[in-house]
Amino acid sequence: MNNAMIKRTTKRTEYWIFLVLIIMCVAIQIASGGQLLESSTVVTILRSMVVDGMFAMVCLIVMVSGGFDLSFPAVAALAYSLSTTICVNMGWSETNAWAGFIMAIVIGAVLGMLNGWIISNFKLNTMIVTLATQTLFIGISMGLLELKEITSKLPLGFRTFGESYLFEVKSSAGLRSTMTTMFIPFVIICIITSLVLNRTMFGRALYAIGGNETSAERAGYNVKRVKFWLYVAVGATCGFIGMVRVCMARQSIPKALVGQEMTIIPAVILGGASIFGGEGTVFGTICAVGIITVVSNSMLLIGIDSYWQDFFNGIVILVGVTVSAIQAKRRNK
Amino acid sequence: MSEYLLEMTEICKSFAGVPALEHVNFKVRSGKVMCLAGENGCGKSTLVKIISGVYSKDEGEVVFEGKPIAKITPAEATKLGIQVIYQDLSIFPNLTVMENLAINSEITAGKKLVNRRQWEATAKEALSKIGYHIDLHAKMGELSVADKQLVAICRALLFDAKLIIMDEPTTALTKKEVDALFKTVCQLRDSGIAIMFISHKTEEIFEISDDVCIMRNGKNVYAGPTSELTPKDFTYYMTGRELTDDHFVAKNISKEPVLKVEHLSLKNKFEDVSFELRKGEILGITGLLGSGRTELALSLFGLERPKKGTITLNGKQVKITSPIMAQKLKIGYVPEDRLTEGLCLQQSIADNITLSSLKRLSNSFGLLKHQDIIDDASIWKEKFSIATNDVNKFASTLSGGNQQKIVLSKWLSNDLDVLILNGPTVGVDVGAKQDIHALVHQLANDGLAVIIISDDLSEVVINCSRVVVMKEGKIVGEMTGDKISEDNILEIIR
Repeated sequence: MNNAMIKRTTKRTEYWIFLVLIIMCVAIQIASGGQLLESSTVVTILRSMVVDGMFAMVCLIVMVSGGFDLSFPAVAALAYSLSTTICVNMGWSETNAWAGFIMAIVIGAVLGMLNGWIISNFKLNTMIVTLATQTLFIGISMGLLELKEITSKLPLGFRTFGESYLFEVKSSAGLRSTMTTMFIPFVIICIITSLVLNRTMFGRALYAIGGNETSAERAGYNVKRVKFWLYVAVGATCGFIGMVRVCMARQSIPKALVGQEMTIIPAVILGGASIFGGEGTVFGTICAVGIITVVSNSMLLIGIDSYWQDFFNGIVILVGVTVSAIQAKRRNK
Repeated sequence: MSEYLLEMTEICKSFAGVPALEHVNFKVRSGKVMCLAGENGCGKSTLVKIISGVYSKDEGEVVFEGKPIAKITPAEATKLGIQVIYQDLSIFPNLTVMENLAINSEITAGKKLVNRRQWEATAKEALSKIGYHIDLHAKMGELSVADKQLVAICRALLFDAKLIIMDEPTTALTKKEVDALFKTVCQLRDSGIAIMFISHKTEEIFEISDDVCIMRNGKNVYAGPTSELTPKDFTYYMTGRELTDDHFVAKNISKEPVLKVEHLSLKNKFEDVSFELRKGEILGITGLLGSGRTELALSLFGLERPKKGTITLNGKQVKITSPIMAQKLKIGYVPEDRLTEGLCLQQSIADNITLSSLKRLSNSFGLLKHQDIIDDASIWKEKFSIATNDVNKFASTLSGGNQQKIVLSKWLSNDLDVLILNGPTVGVDVGAKQDIHALVHQLANDGLAVIIISDDLSEVVINCSRVVVMKEGKIVGEMTGDKISEDNILEIIR
């Protein structure tokens, strides 16, 4: 029995991704002469994982259900730019950030509703629907609402919230690094995602639908309803993540997230989510985001030109998709 | 209460004015196995969907446990104790056995959260119903079809099933697995559950069923005890025509062998295989699963590369390294799993038929004319009497037998010397089987050399003028003419 458990663990993608992450960290640590595991570098890397990590959770939960969401950066961008613009136009320069957060979440949920309604009612391919709505949302933001960049006028509440931190570390060379408060929502979103996926019937429904939609329907799940609420929840979460990004960057740029999906989705696939649905875990996804962040942050440490980052991302997509396809093939045999 | 669990009287159902079921009557008894038989498209699945509440009937009466049921939903059918095990088993390949067993009842119970301990208890309870043991944490997708089926049966039993409907459960099983399944079916029957078994395989129906209901074109042509039927009556009711088992007699066998295989060996698959094949004969290669028969066929088509031995074609020694080369050498191969290996289901019938003869149909600039493709396909449609009114329809719209005809015509539309058929009538109903056999006979008599690879012994006996028996990778016997019989083959295999 124990043997069987070990066998099962080693079969899982998360296990291998975790190993890769560890081996890579060790390798970079040696190559960079011990710079990677400096407290300030570690904190910097964790900080840069926050936004990508949260987006990865959103992406994961959609992929588990057998879908593909290309619109999440556009949803987040429209939600935060509209929300901050309203805050600025209302003259709430001194308000707390929470008003902005609530508005962004509501806007995100409404946009998600559109996605969910189209996908569940017309049974269309999620990738095509979200590709269309992505363009639509960017169009609304740039053309219809003419949302502008907000930098210096950003409400003070957003700024202070973004600058707040949990603790501060100093490296041996005297470099200071702060751990942002935004790390807490990141951890909370990961925990919630994990609980939803593993401990709720809704989460099991996502796995079931991703595995075999017809069977899920026959088993008694209301597939249409599950899908609808999935996209609403995803939209709302995107609105929230977008606001976290605004606070951390201390600016709201409507076009800032365009193309972000193309780095997040490969990471999620690398983390063990299947492109055919039904597979994927929070742990694996975090490890994969970790790998990508560690590499892009430590390229300079070991003296590699940062242009190589795209090259590396390309490799990640290839490896992730290939592994995913091979696994699906084995499963169907 | 009457002795019948389920009584269906005068059931009618039509879709958009086209009748699918016309005045169907049958009864199911508790603790008995009832077979619902019929060729593809005769209305079997429509009937099942009416019982399980997916469709509603237009006319007629359904009585379950003595109470008439006017209209039911799938959920209500489950509550009454009606469970359907669909052909695809409705399982989740990405979840564990435990989750597959428990998920349905948890949903039905309206649970919102997952209680692992509860799930495990449910799963164990399900397995204990038929005393079946399996690793609860194994991924469902990694199990064999037979195991998947048993899990699906266990899951159905959780709902206190009184009637279990099995939709063609034996399609993807080996003979041994079928025997194991039948054992389970008998066990369920003896515990008082009514089983409705859907099949079109004659032998199985006679082996397992107490009662039988035969359907043809939406009408039931026979309903009653199986014991009052002979296999011949059964086939007659199924197809509506008298089928005679025409034994193949080779008429024009060429003197020189067209194909000569000598001492061919493939590591761990087969060893030192030698045989000859002449034009005009049908050679049967039979043996149990794993005897090397399929690998031998693949070697002749360039999909396996034997290390030792020679293949001689029309007197010239050849090395077949790829399917393209095999085609150039005029060898055709029809795979066992035609759905995944032999057909593009989502393309038109015409495109499928002409797929391997595009070169012949294109002009000197390499361009194709749509009309040529249609014309060429139409010739084959007539020749094989493929049941469709339009060759532009998708191949997926056809029944299994007709799909097989497409695969055959695809190959035959090119000039061939050798045609290898692997399990030519797997999953094909009796009528279409007969058509395919007749066709192969005609082809052989027209001068084609045919190899049939099959574990369906009756098929081998009817069709082959010579039979080679393989066992554990070696040829262990050969027989010709009158010597070919199921008993003789079995004796060698065992």
